Amino acid sequence: MIIARIVGNAIAAHCHRSLSGKTLLLCQQLGDGDVNVGAPFVAIDLFGAGLHERVLVSTDGLGARHLVEDDSSPIRMFVQGIVDETQNSQT
Amino acid sequence: MRIGQVIGKTVLSVQDPACEGGRWLMVNPLDASQLNGCCEKTPSLSAQPSLIVYDNIGAGEGDIIGFSEGGEATAPFPHPIPIDALCIAIFDQIHYTAFSTN
Repeated sequence: MIIARIVGNAIAAHCHRSLSGKTLLLCQQLGDGDVNVGAPFVAIDLFGAGLHERVLVSTDGLGARHLVEDDSSPIRMFVQGIVDETQNSQT
Repeated sequence: MRIGQVIGKTVLSVQDPACEGGRWLMVNPLDASQLNGCCEKTPSLSAQPSLIVYDNIGAGEGDIIGFSEGGEATAPFPHPIPIDALCIAIFDQIHYTAFSTN
């Protein structure tokens, strides 16, 4: 699971059936000190996370298949929750 | 899923029969700075290494796609298939807004 920030959204008319009707959010992983790490990726969101909110993103395909209730879904990244606060005693 | 631009294709003369019926796309993953307007105007190549993505939904050269990587790439198939990247979305629009604390 990774902490990421929502940096936008994506719209795809042509996609796998398990993605249709789902919100596709652009997320960017956050490293120490909340700095962006790497290129943005797309995660599905069923909670209604907003732009620039920090979220917990799971990379577990089994959990994603449960979430969309489709055993043949290729989804791996999904928003698991919206972050209120993180505490890192090392920084 | 990561976001990438289809920059070409690969044709195999011999392949696992499980892979028949799909295409092998050459995909260059996109950086944050390339995301805005990438569906309207072809972005330049990013420094990230390109990869081959299996496609069975009909993406073509110049399309901006989302691809799933790892074991989940095989999930939609009823039979075992030796792939680790699958095209699962062809994007029409991507809106990117960089976060700044100012």
